[in-house]
Amino acid sequence: MTLIAGIDIGNATTEVALAEASAGAAPAFVASSIVPTTGIKGTAQNTQGVFAALTQALDAAGRPLADLGLIRINEAAPVIGDVAMETISETVITESTMIGHNPTTPGGLGIGVGTTVPVDDLPRLSPGTPYVVVADRGHGFEQVAAAINAASERLDITGVILQRDDGVLVHNRLTRKVPIVDEVALIDKVPIGMPAAIEVADVGRIIETLANPYGIATLFGLDPDETASVVPMARSLVGNRSAVVIKTPAGDVTERRIPSGSLQFVGERSAEVDVDLGAEEIMRVAGSVGEIRNIKGEPGTNVGGMMEKVRVVMGRLTDRDPGGIEVTDLLAVDTQVPQAVTGGLAGEFHLEAAVGIAAMVRADKLQMQRIATEMTEQLGIAVEVGGVEADMAVRGALTTPGSSVPIAILDMGAGSTDAAVLRAGQQPRSIHLAGAGNMVTLLIQSELGLETSEDAENVKRYPLARVETLFNIRHEDGTVQFFDEPLPPHTFARTVVLHPEGMIPLPLRQPLEVIRQVRIRAKERVFVTNALRALRAVSPTASVRDIAHVVLVGGSALDFEIPQLVTRALAEYRVVAGRANIRGTQGPRNAVATGLVLAWEGSR
Amino acid sequence: MTVMDEKTLRSIIEEVVNEFAGGAPRGGTAVATAPSVSSASGSLRISEDGPAERGINPREVVIALAPGFGGRMTSTLIDLDHGDVLRELCAGIEEEGLSYRFIRVFRTADVGFIAHEAAKLSGSGIGIGIQSRGTTVIHQKDLPPLSNLELFSQAPLIDLDTFRAIGKNAAKYAKGESPSPVPVRNDQMARPKYQAIAALWHIKETQLCDAAKKTQALRVEYR
Repeated sequence: MTLIAGIDIGNATTEVALAEASAGAAPAFVASSIVPTTGIKGTAQNTQGVFAALTQALDAAGRPLADLGLIRINEAAPVIGDVAMETISETVITESTMIGHNPTTPGGLGIGVGTTVPVDDLPRLSPGTPYVVVADRGHGFEQVAAAINAASERLDITGVILQRDDGVLVHNRLTRKVPIVDEVALIDKVPIGMPAAIEVADVGRIIETLANPYGIATLFGLDPDETASVVPMARSLVGNRSAVVIKTPAGDVTERRIPSGSLQFVGERSAEVDVDLGAEEIMRVAGSVGEIRNIKGEPGTNVGGMMEKVRVVMGRLTDRDPGGIEVTDLLAVDTQVPQAVTGGLAGEFHLEAAVGIAAMVRADKLQMQRIATEMTEQLGIAVEVGGVEADMAVRGALTTPGSSVPIAILDMGAGSTDAAVLRAGQQPRSIHLAGAGNMVTLLIQSELGLETSEDAENVKRYPLARVETLFNIRHEDGTVQFFDEPLPPHTFARTVVLHPEGMIPLPLRQPLEVIRQVRIRAKERVFVTNALRALRAVSPTASVRDIAHVVLVGGSALDFEIPQLVTRALAEYRVVAGRANIRGTQGPRNAVATGLVLAWEGSR
Repeated sequence: MTVMDEKTLRSIIEEVVNEFAGGAPRGGTAVATAPSVSSASGSLRISEDGPAERGINPREVVIALAPGFGGRMTSTLIDLDHGDVLRELCAGIEEEGLSYRFIRVFRTADVGFIAHEAAKLSGSGIGIGIQSRGTTVIHQKDLPPLSNLELFSQAPLIDLDTFRAIGKNAAKYAKGESPSPVPVRNDQMARPKYQAIAALWHIKETQLCDAAKKTQALRVEYR
């Protein structure tokens, strides 16, 4: 009888399976545990987490550390993931030609065209031409309204641009109503004496004329060439409730592609791709070079810097020369990031195209042996490195009730997505791909413009709800739940994530449905893409259809919707996929740790 | 920020000391008819208009004044005219397309309870309570009185822009929107610098309370 601990050090968690094993009999599992991994997977800092997890499992089993006969750790299928984001387009406004922000409360309705004039000049102006009045924060709403009312008998005033949030206040006090755009922060930069058009749409509507190139052409009498040049402007105003367009001699709005450099894939063949062509092209090129040995970024460019950072971080953590570190897989995902518009007058934001990249590094095979040696010294217990991680995961996954060989597993973790296939009488085939839970968090964080990854992590993990009153919430599926006690005041009228320890309000303005869509799309783009990519690679025929059964394991398989998303996507290929239940008790957790214990017998 | 000069301070202290020494509180019933307050938009005139009633208009925010606000006291700790303060609160509410109503609470000078009273009488369930020194609370009717939606406890740091933002946020809560809480500055020196004055201010306000008097509806005018 020997007490054996199988320990799986993952990117996010360290898991232990503790079992009594004796020759000729199946090991009897006595306890399991799970703690967050300390440091980056495959590095010396891991030992702290291992010790914590081991103590937890031993305590649960009521056994002292001294009883432990053997520790088996995974051969850290040597992948370490890292994620980064690169914006590849930017919107630039030159010469203050456009105000395209969305003040929550503009004033008035409709369209007004006129020449821009400061409010103080109104008494001196001569009638005959229409005017758009510009007022800075030095002018109170009563003052602005009084000045316009006094002049409106004499002059044709067609619109107002305000610096303060006074749109409705001025509107309520005007005798002749005009459209008003407010909260224009940099009002000093609004060109004076230029033709301008203001449009304000009704509540819940969006502007139609200024978001249409021909609409702008009609208002300003543009020729076909000029009309072509206002297309980017019209496009960037789509979806706004209010807008101002000012016609200046050289003003323009352009969408610029940021040269972010190229990626070079070195494999059986070599190929290069420009990052600003987008994720689809990057992934196509990545798939065309055969087995990838290394990926390099063009030196001196954004993507070059990004890849270099990955190497330096990994080099430092694994105590190796950064130059020798090889990036062996990469997942690129197209995304959109809210960015401040350069040259904007009212702090406008525009959704810019970006590429999110998850990179994976092949770590040192000797690294785990080093950790094993260190642990032996510290604990005084024999520590051995047992088998390839994916093989161990397959063995663990086979303890799921109802599973049998041939089997494929999809291990969806935090840093990488791994797949392995086991057929009767054959060695398992496995693959490690970049991009998993951390990538989803990054996409959610950047697309929603969240400041902390903690908020993004919460959005990823838990369902959303809207606090409608202090006594009821509406879940994201539309059902209403009531409470007997009032909810905490900081959740009032907010979109919250239903964290098990209480509701957490989100610092977001987007409607709940938008947040939900961002979450689901982020999960699909990472996990569905990687599931197909991984299964294709391990399938004997390179086709997903030829795998009949897929068992989902790993931390991300615990997610409340990722397994369903993957199951649904794989159903299209007639593949049966479902969440594992390791040893009938552990759910999708503990597969590798369990496999390490089970493999012990085979290894003797 | 205007800091109170020594003279004003002295006069407040003297007044409070006199009231303590003189024993008898002034008048049997607190009366909130204000001496005229001069402000940019005319002087503030507040008069009582019978007991305050529960509103049924879901588009309203109720603003409850502490016993001395705009009456015995005419400006906040940092010398902001009470007329201007109310004007900014109202502008914030009006900008969001909602209406407002004023009441005065007499039975307490505690801003939490004052705000909660406003919330309970408000058709939207959202109320604002404000003390003479400037301390302000946004409240919701279903919350316990000592809880709140937003609390602006450091009166010396609340300027007119903040009052505008407070009105705006209260209106947004009434509409069921989720506003970001109004940013408040933090200044460790505000406490030591103003604590004594703030305490005096509060004593004065408390003396104006009248436990027997019902909450009154108010007419607020600028003349």
